[in-house]
Amino acid sequence: MIKDIFEGILKDKFATIALIVLIFIYFCLFFAEFIAPYSMNYTDRQLSYVPPSPIFTIDENGKLSKPYTYNYKRTYDEELMQTVFKLDRSKKYYLKFFARGEEYSFLWFIPMDRHLITVDNDGRLYLLGGDINGRDVFSRLLFGGRISMTIGFLALFVLFPIGLLYGGISGYFGGKIDMFMMRFAEAVMSIPSFYLLIILAAVLPSNMTSSQRLTLIVVILALIGWAGFARVVRGMVLSIKNQDFVKSAKMAGSSDLRIIIKEVLPQTTSYVIVAMTLSVPGYILSESGLSFLGLGIQQPDASWGNMLKEAQEYINILYRPWLLTPGFLIFVAVLSFNLIGDTIRDILDPKSKTR
Amino acid sequence: MQILFYILKRILQTIPLLILVSIISFFIIRLSPVDPLAELKLNPSISKETLKAEQQRLGLDKPLPIQYLLWAKSFVKGDLGVTTTGEKVSVKLAERIPNTLLLTIIVIFLTWSVGVPLGILAAIKWKTPFDRILTVLTSIGMAIPSFFFAILMLIFAVKSGWFPVGGLTSYNYDDMNFIQKFFDIAHHLFLPVTVLFTLSLAGLQRQMRANLLDVLDSDYVKFARAKGLSENKVIFKHALRNAVNPMITLLGFEFSSLLSGAALTEFVFQYPGLGRLILEAVLKSDINLVMASLMIGAVMLVVGNLIADILLILTDPRIRAKA
Amino acid sequence: MKRILYIILSIIFLTICLKACIKRDIPPKERLNNRILKTDVTFKFPQESRNVVLGGVDYLQSQAPVGKFGGEMVVSTIGEGPKTFNPFTSKDAVSSSMSGLMFDSLFTISPNDGKVIPKLAKSYETKDGKKYIVHLRQGIKWSDGKPITADDVVFTWNKIILAGLGNTSTRDAVVIDGKLPKVTKIDNYTVKFEILKPFSPFIRLISVQIAPKHIFEPVTKQGARAFDMFYSTNTKPDNFVTSGAFRLKEYKAAQRVVFERNSDYYMLNKKNQKLPYLDKIIYLIVGDLNNEILKFEGHEIDVISLRGSNVAPYKIKEADSDYKIYNLGADTGTMFVAINLNPRRNSENKFYVDPKKQYWFSDKDFRTAIDYALDRKNMVQNIANGLAKPLFTAESLNSIFLNTKIKGHERNLKKAKEVLINAGFKYGNNKKLYDKFGNRVEFDLYTNAGNTEREAIGVMVKQDLEDLGMRVNFKPVEFNTLVNKMTTTFDWDMIIMGLTGSPLEPHDGLNVWHSKGSLHLFNQRTEDDKKDDRFTFEKRLDEIFESAALQTTFASRKKLYDEYQQIVYDEKPFIYLYSPVRMVAVRKKFRNIYPSQLLGITYNIEEIYKDKY
Repeated sequence: MIKDIFEGILKDKFATIALIVLIFIYFCLFFAEFIAPYSMNYTDRQLSYVPPSPIFTIDENGKLSKPYTYNYKRTYDEELMQTVFKLDRSKKYYLKFFARGEEYSFLWFIPMDRHLITVDNDGRLYLLGGDINGRDVFSRLLFGGRISMTIGFLALFVLFPIGLLYGGISGYFGGKIDMFMMRFAEAVMSIPSFYLLIILAAVLPSNMTSSQRLTLIVVILALIGWAGFARVVRGMVLSIKNQDFVKSAKMAGSSDLRIIIKEVLPQTTSYVIVAMTLSVPGYILSESGLSFLGLGIQQPDASWGNMLKEAQEYINILYRPWLLTPGFLIFVAVLSFNLIGDTIRDILDPKSKTR
Repeated sequence: MQILFYILKRILQTIPLLILVSIISFFIIRLSPVDPLAELKLNPSISKETLKAEQQRLGLDKPLPIQYLLWAKSFVKGDLGVTTTGEKVSVKLAERIPNTLLLTIIVIFLTWSVGVPLGILAAIKWKTPFDRILTVLTSIGMAIPSFFFAILMLIFAVKSGWFPVGGLTSYNYDDMNFIQKFFDIAHHLFLPVTVLFTLSLAGLQRQMRANLLDVLDSDYVKFARAKGLSENKVIFKHALRNAVNPMITLLGFEFSSLLSGAALTEFVFQYPGLGRLILEAVLKSDINLVMASLMIGAVMLVVGNLIADILLILTDPRIRAKA
Repeated sequence: MKRILYIILSIIFLTICLKACIKRDIPPKERLNNRILKTDVTFKFPQESRNVVLGGVDYLQSQAPVGKFGGEMVVSTIGEGPKTFNPFTSKDAVSSSMSGLMFDSLFTISPNDGKVIPKLAKSYETKDGKKYIVHLRQGIKWSDGKPITADDVVFTWNKIILAGLGNTSTRDAVVIDGKLPKVTKIDNYTVKFEILKPFSPFIRLISVQIAPKHIFEPVTKQGARAFDMFYSTNTKPDNFVTSGAFRLKEYKAAQRVVFERNSDYYMLNKKNQKLPYLDKIIYLIVGDLNNEILKFEGHEIDVISLRGSNVAPYKIKEADSDYKIYNLGADTGTMFVAINLNPRRNSENKFYVDPKKQYWFSDKDFRTAIDYALDRKNMVQNIANGLAKPLFTAESLNSIFLNTKIKGHERNLKKAKEVLINAGFKYGNNKKLYDKFGNRVEFDLYTNAGNTEREAIGVMVKQDLEDLGMRVNFKPVEFNTLVNKMTTTFDWDMIIMGLTGSPLEPHDGLNVWHSKGSLHLFNQRTEDDKKDDRFTFEKRLDEIFESAALQTTFASRKKLYDEYQQIVYDEKPFIYLYSPVRMVAVRKKFRNIYPSQLLGITYNIEEIYKDKY
């Protein structure tokens, strides 16, 4: 079945492109420490809101050269009340590939200090400029992406077991149990989801580390999503439970829970896959919405959502467009997920196959 | 008569649902460590005596279940309590609900009148490049974070000078005649509606497309085709009616998802709607206000579903028979 | 055919990529600067308004240049808008300023030097600082035509303020040794205020707004709840009986508040025409700073305060634009890092602050080291875009009681480390800091989430302190949670906070600095904490605040308040960071704009008029 899906995706041009884009993004995020020139919290106070470092390949004499960059020098214009960045053309910094830089743990345990791209120690390579604290936006995008792009999947891992089991039990037993369980699920669904989300996020205990906070946000996202999912599973289980193989398993004396888990739920796999791909982008967007309100991932940790928060100021949008890159990445990732999800749905929908 | 009975049954069924909703939301809110009087506490000119009086007024010193019962009792009576700043919650909601309804209804109307035809088109041209491109285009609208899209729109408004920067009416609205008033509101609504429309179009278009594909696959459509009816006739006379029916069920949910989705958009556009109210209330943890607006949201959803159900009964003979 | 298309497309794509990679290094030619207007911090004011008698009526005559009548001014208010129009129940700044437009107070303060000048009252006199005789204007009227008399003043004081209705902050402030002042009517236009001891903030405290007795009296009889609801935002505009220069015309929730001119106001211009000039004042209710800026940019509002990095883009365009930028000098707000010195236990007998942390925090050297480690210069530069001043004292930089002898210091990591080592702290491997018991120095730093400025400060403070080898867990939390920590649970280590003070009256900081104060954050006590466990410097602060308010001369007060600032600087329970500079942009079409460091821009709204630009 996985093979079917892959073949289907590869047949569709948009989906193929989307898949390549996503694989590329996840690849970069996975090797973030190596690709990023700096660590997530590397700060140069002189470079608050510095523009992206220009990279020159033809030098001032018009000759081709190894790529190099200059540092920015900050001055303050008292009259204009403005910080001015000027290129300091006295020293060139050549880009170095696979060179030594800040130390880090590659894949969380191998100590390493090689980076894909760096410059000499006193040079600064801010490929996408700096944020308010003088941190490298490009590096933070890579580290922040880890949170934004996995939060959806993490939520799904929490939500699916709950939803499947809840829907399975409800549908399998039917009757009063079904009636009560579904009323409860409907009640949860009746609360406008975004409101519930922000209320839950707002009541999070505050003395948490960022990883605890991330976990709780994941749980909250899951708590909101499970009801709708459980309802659909229940509907599918209702029709599955009367099929012969379920009946025979019952005759053989298997326990109810065993039948639900072993016989009934596997039948819903295709729906689960569609639901998964279609709901991941929703979670990415939710995270950005939460961060917009200051309820999501908190500083100094990065996520695309909380990086985009800085870009909301009018002045930043107009004068510091590099701060918009997290928004662009969210857009690309969500679009890719949607395109793939659509294609998978078309592939797995049994009715469309027959036509 | 039977239909009436069924409708009555549906209405009665919603009551336990609403009670459940209220219990869930109340306990979530009150289990939080958040102090509703925080703002007052940080105001240097407020005395301890004043704070104590406020605490008593909100019943904050009583145990949770009693707080809930107090709240439920007054909710049934139509008294939604007062906000932490002493205003009546019911008045605040009454100010905002019409605005939110106005926005939501316009958006639903527009998405339906565009999304349904586009869905039909996509289904007819199924698996052609046209279908794919249409899906991609609607997906693009869905992929931008709503608040970000809204901010970009606002900047567009400022830079072009074509649209007002947020709000619902101009400051000299009261001095306008009817036609001017109408255009003033339309002028203000244009951008928020555009944002919400773009966001919700994709979902509806996909749903319609899937439904129609389902129906086109069914036996009686095959039968109609076999009879030799023209494809247009098959689609517009037979398939469409059946494909639209399940969409009506969606209406209710779309209502609530719009309520949710509109919150950030309302916030950015400074639109005086329920979404912005509830957002601000949550951020300030104004219990009464949050509870009441959550309940109103739930009521709107439930009523939306109810109306959808009733519409369905009236239009679909099969369900009528079941009832 | 299709293949060719693909090849062409990929060639184009590759060329674009290549083009992006090849960039020529051309040094730019220096461009000449545009015309830049200088923004100085100089303030000029017209002469003070005078009392004149015309036809038996005591008018107040403005000495500002005569202007034109008509037009409107659109300003903005950030947040949810007013919560009430009743000046006696309002608790927030927005409601207070709007009810302030509608109801005049007896006195106001001079924009120039902060001295008390007449407004609704004609004058006052006092001989011993205990008895104040206030003379009212004859012949001026409420908006329903009834005269404003001593009865209204006496009623407002005795039946509303001193009776404890509505917001009791004025009442709380005028209690001296547990006694309330006595307010009595002498004749129709004269009122006497009496207190037991001379109390210097008193005259400013009694210059509050006055309520029309004939309207408010029935309501006060119905009790506190009815009073709280009275003149709420739902009241019909026609039902307001007011005394101010403007009256309410329309209130649209979450959208705007419109005020219209009071045509029978008691202020005159030099030609003896009745002020105000403007027909309408419109407050647009905007949700956040960003929206406000967009509205200014879209020409929907006329006045805007600019902060930090928002100033520069407007400054560049100023010369060719329709607005002018004024520099109002330092803000009244202060931003600081508070350190929790609380040594007590909670009701469950657990320490609010972990004893091992208490040991560090209560060490003055530890706090001094932190102070020296903070990089205020870069905070000012990066976060406030240079538009701020480093701050070292508890009074704001524009306070008339500012202790100018406190000069502060630059960041000095070396000194900070020395202080720590002398105090017994040790550095282990990896430059980590340990106390003399071998505990790693690690604590939490909180601020309110969603405030970009404070979050950015938090990130910097964290880095600065980590340079000292401390480990700082920076946690932005929701505002309400933060307040709960500060006022109820006390379970915090350090907090980045801001408070607004009065530039004229340090006594307003009583609740922060007095050990019994409700905002005595660094060592907050509950009502059950009866034991006297004040630190020595807390005792002295208590004494200073209790005695300074009873001093009558400026010099003797200044001496005491100087001492309090010195104590705070030496002891560092709060470590002050910086104070932003306030910049305001106003459309050039408005005239008679006399910006004041103390009062801002629109304090003289009666005199402001609109001209062609």
